[in-house]
Amino acid sequence: MAQPDRLERVTDLLLVLLDASRPLSLREIADRVPGYPAGHEARRQAFERDKRLLRDEGVPVLAESIEAEEQVGYRVDPDAYYLPDLGLEPDEQAALNLAVAGVHLGEPIGREALSKLGMGGSWPRRGAPLPLVDLPLVDGLPALPLLFDAVRTGAAVDFSYRGAPRSVDVAGIRFRGGHWYVVGRDRAKGEARTFRVDRFDGQPQVGPPGSSELPTGFDADGEFSRDPWHFGPGESVHVDVAVDPAEASQVVTELGPDAVVGRTDDGGVVVGLEVTDVEALVSWVLDLLDHAEVLRPDEVRAAVVERLESIVAAAGGAR
Amino acid sequence: MSPAVDTATRLRRLLAILTWLAQEGEAPIDEVAARFDLTPTALVAELEMAACCGVPPYTPDQLLEIVVTEDSVSTRVGTTLARPRRLSPREGLGLAASARALLAVPGSDEDGALSRALAKLDRALGQTGIEVELDTPDLLETVRNALAAHERLTVTYYSASTDQTAERTITPRRLFASEGHWYVDAWCEVADGVRRFRVDRIATAESAGPASPEVLADAAADRSSPGEGTPTGGALGAFVPGPDSRRVRIAADPTKAWLFDTVPSAAEEAEGGRTVWEVFVGGDAWLERLLLRLGPDAEVLEPVEDRELAADAATRILARYRG
Repeated sequence: MAQPDRLERVTDLLLVLLDASRPLSLREIADRVPGYPAGHEARRQAFERDKRLLRDEGVPVLAESIEAEEQVGYRVDPDAYYLPDLGLEPDEQAALNLAVAGVHLGEPIGREALSKLGMGGSWPRRGAPLPLVDLPLVDGLPALPLLFDAVRTGAAVDFSYRGAPRSVDVAGIRFRGGHWYVVGRDRAKGEARTFRVDRFDGQPQVGPPGSSELPTGFDADGEFSRDPWHFGPGESVHVDVAVDPAEASQVVTELGPDAVVGRTDDGGVVVGLEVTDVEALVSWVLDLLDHAEVLRPDEVRAAVVERLESIVAAAGGAR
Repeated sequence: MSPAVDTATRLRRLLAILTWLAQEGEAPIDEVAARFDLTPTALVAELEMAACCGVPPYTPDQLLEIVVTEDSVSTRVGTTLARPRRLSPREGLGLAASARALLAVPGSDEDGALSRALAKLDRALGQTGIEVELDTPDLLETVRNALAAHERLTVTYYSASTDQTAERTITPRRLFASEGHWYVDAWCEVADGVRRFRVDRIATAESAGPASPEVLADAAADRSSPGEGTPTGGALGAFVPGPDSRRVRIAADPTKAWLFDTVPSAAEEAEGGRTVWEVFVGGDAWLERLLLRLGPDAEVLEPVEDRELAADAATRILARYRG
């Protein structure tokens, strides 16, 4: 007779655990699932391997204490395993499939999600290829799924950000300009704050569901700080920056047309910015090389000049 | 069945097949096999095995309800293991982020199906609270239309890595967003090769007539090659080192590491608590930007010709402020 198929044993195990109305001891499981070895130790080892496989595949196998010789029993709560049916229409399923095919996350997690929802396998491609979107996701950003779950379950989050501890009621996750941000209410400061997820030190600690004390009506969109010069704690300063034609269209795309306060005849623009972090603004302006110039106020002009002079001086000293 | 496929992969595939099949009810064996990348024989073997699985005493209502006939397979909605399953945080994030990202592409959801799907997803998962913003450069639509219509475009383009504006005639081949910006890979007649353009740096674009058949054939061959342009293929990174790019070694304070996050680079520890990064540089202007952002503590180690670059750029910009 052929070697028993382990997939058959694992499938039977999953069915038995889902069917269990109370935690089952290993002995009871082995009575119900064919294919486990007879010896106690070998049976325990085989079961542990199967249990690990199921958990790795995302099956919530519960281990609970029972009043029996073996003390621990196992089951799977169907409510924690199954999702209520989403009721997606065929065109909605097709749209989700296109999204998963067109967005490159670096890992096939979108496809795995579709499989769990009954939209697995390969979909025939139709029509002209859509533009592709590359999103840096879980790859290198292990905090992101935890923050996603915190938003979803209304949990407060503790984390270390650029060396300082933060406690935040998270409201939303935003992708902009190549980076992921989380926006929420800083508990210590009692104010809205935006944090860049790739600047977290280590993993955030997610509190229990519902632990967030976000005020009702908190407007994640309105509170989201879009530009790096809004991240500082300082007083807001109005800054005008002149941008040459070469960089004008790129800057207007980045800031939006509302930022434009003037235009020059040659196609350049003047943009007006509210700045709380002058250091961040200086970096942004210098990124435009000699295609941009801070027009006012004088103290921000002075900050640019000071940075440039320090770079010239450093090179002179090294010579 | 290939022995290389492990039990976890087979379980995942079996559950994917059952969950999909439950919605279809019944489907031809060939179609299901092709869809899930199995031979018909392997598919039938897998489903016949699953049809024997169940809970004692194995009465019909305690077995998985799978019917395998000569040429079709079937199950029904509500069958154990054939119902939609909860998503892990990573999967939920991946699906919601993908849908949000496509919604951020102008004109991608004209019939509203994606928005409706997302609303249902939010209802089932809880508010996902995720938004994706992408640039919408003025000429994105023009480039996209040229790509779809196989047309050439004459563009004025500002190259950030060389700090030059030039007119070029290009044939768009692929449009994509990366790091939040839109790029078009296009055949460039000046360069006589494929070059990557940032769409928001295209200042003007005029139609220049139909693309040449040779360029189109070349692009089609490119698309069919594995990895290229497919979502599971190679990364769509925004920087491709060209034949003219050079390696530059830069020493800087470790706290500046985040400035290298979006730059293809390799870092190593160095003496004096500094970190040395090795980066690919496509043009002087690009390196100037990086060095100005790094500030006065950063130092170019190699090549020696680049050591003065930051100070020269700083002097040039200072002239504007002193003028």
